[in-house]
Amino acid sequence: MDLIKLSDHLWEIPKTGAMRVPGRVYASAKMIEGMREDPALTQVANVACLPGIVGYSLAMPDIHWGYGFPIGGVAAVDARGGVISPGGVGYDINCGVRLARTRLDFNFVEPRIDQLADALFARIPAGVGSWGAIPGLSIEQLKEVVSEGAKWALRNGYATERDLEHTEEGGMLAGADPDRISERAYKRGAKQLGTLGSGNHFLEISRIDEIYDSKLADALGLELGQVTVMIHSGSRGLGHQTCDDYLKLIGGAMARYGINLPDRQLAAVPISSPEGQAYLGAMAAAANFAWCNRQVMMHLAEQAFLEALSIAPRELGFELVYDVCHNIAKFEEHIVDGRMRLVCVHRKGATRAFGPGHPALPAALRPLGQPVLVPGDMGRYSFVLVGLETAMRETFGSSCHGAGRLMSRMKAKREAGGRDLHAELKALGVTVRAHSRAGIAEEMPHAYKDVAEVVEVMEAARITRRVARLKPFAVIKG
Amino acid sequence: MPTKPTAPQTEDAALFREFEHTGDLGIELDAPTRGELFRRAAIALAALLVETAGVAEIEQREIAVEAEADLDLMHDLLTELLALFTVEGFIWRGAWVKEAGRSIRVTLRGEPFDPARHAFRGEIKAVTYHQLMVEGSPGGWRSRIIFDV
Repeated sequence: MDLIKLSDHLWEIPKTGAMRVPGRVYASAKMIEGMREDPALTQVANVACLPGIVGYSLAMPDIHWGYGFPIGGVAAVDARGGVISPGGVGYDINCGVRLARTRLDFNFVEPRIDQLADALFARIPAGVGSWGAIPGLSIEQLKEVVSEGAKWALRNGYATERDLEHTEEGGMLAGADPDRISERAYKRGAKQLGTLGSGNHFLEISRIDEIYDSKLADALGLELGQVTVMIHSGSRGLGHQTCDDYLKLIGGAMARYGINLPDRQLAAVPISSPEGQAYLGAMAAAANFAWCNRQVMMHLAEQAFLEALSIAPRELGFELVYDVCHNIAKFEEHIVDGRMRLVCVHRKGATRAFGPGHPALPAALRPLGQPVLVPGDMGRYSFVLVGLETAMRETFGSSCHGAGRLMSRMKAKREAGGRDLHAELKALGVTVRAHSRAGIAEEMPHAYKDVAEVVEVMEAARITRRVARLKPFAVIKG
Repeated sequence: MPTKPTAPQTEDAALFREFEHTGDLGIELDAPTRGELFRRAAIALAALLVETAGVAEIEQREIAVEAEADLDLMHDLLTELLALFTVEGFIWRGAWVKEAGRSIRVTLRGEPFDPARHAFRGEIKAVTYHQLMVEGSPGGWRSRIIFDV
């Protein structure tokens, strides 16, 4: 793959063949060397072939090999003439991250870490072979969930108004059409509201061990030593099935629209087509399920803290800092070729990162820029960033979403063979509770890039600014 | 054209091999016949979801799929099987395949998934189309499948 170096942290894949725009990859020279053999760069070029794509096919520094789109890919298509691609959103529609802060200091929690981890592990189901936190939801009730998102959680006592204000889109994406979700998708989701899932999903308790910008940290209510809770999960089986249903439908319809793409997983149809509109209604519905799911889990986590630490809600002070989604397609206005245009931004393993003053941000956060939550691996650290103005000009208001895998799951399991990963993580100061050993092996710290390098690239490119670093001390895995 | 059902095998994990994929889970399968390839794929999926050694073959389920291309047949079969696990909570260890033109019928023997008895290996979100391959030659059949996990 030919790459042109544009700066120390930005590389261009020149437009060749069926590419409609060039590709652009945010990465350090060291990262680029590691990527050259990875199919992810070919996937950046493939995404550049989507009809209606504008600007560049973008890749964030946590890019790695996905299916169709690379993980860490961003593509904006013209809202009128462009296409929508379910593969550009992914199976886990609105997979995302939320961060809650507490009033607790690490010194208070440290002697009680095991009780706290046990309480969280007991209260938050993984969702396989077990009922979710809210068992027995009927399809009619699920239709309410997918229509309302986190508002359903508010109506049912799992959220506060403040939680919704601090959630991207207020926890409810407009345009959701519950009738566009299949019966099978509802059945897959019926037991899974309030469940974590497995793979790279987690709940992590951390302490803030570094503040980079004290003014921004103050404004977000973050301080050194403070205990925080990060939840990473998505739309569970309901979303997975919805993506599958529409990949099939849209894959079959592409030929009618004269669309031919280099990877079947990129299947796309015009946004304005009946299939495209149906997918967008279903995608928004699945996204709403995900917001409700994370909100319910946050409520469960609060209950676990109160129970394990025998403290009052006022002492705990459990409050949402922000909730972001990193698998989604959204209609947004961005400047393209010098003029404001409505585009549909596909973010596949990428986080919205709107700069200060953006009207989509809630009043309390607008002057700061959007919080961007970037989990690392479970042994090292995670970051809280904020979006900068440059992101609006260069990345359609997008930034990285995580560390990015370095090692295949297979290699991670091979390297973990015979090792006591629980003990190794304990030595790093991390208590782990997990439903499967394979899950820990695949997610072991060195299977991932160092997330610090990822966020440093984004900061060097002035896309996002670091606010605080979170050091995990207890992790719950599905 | 119907073919003779293939017999189940017990060495489930030996029927497939994982290949390196950065983010997801990829497997390759070889089989002497087309029917055996689909059967091995069914067994492989169960073995990726749970430790199948402890699965008792006490209940039977049937899945039928039809598609023009073998590629779609493989995708749709595995997707139906994934739904059998995720929606109905059924896990299997034995599989028999009957081929009839563009359709296949798979008979599965197993039991309801019980997390207390069956060690869960990890969630599979979906069967992707990315680099999906099903190829037959006089020497045998081969498939390559990437699951989103």
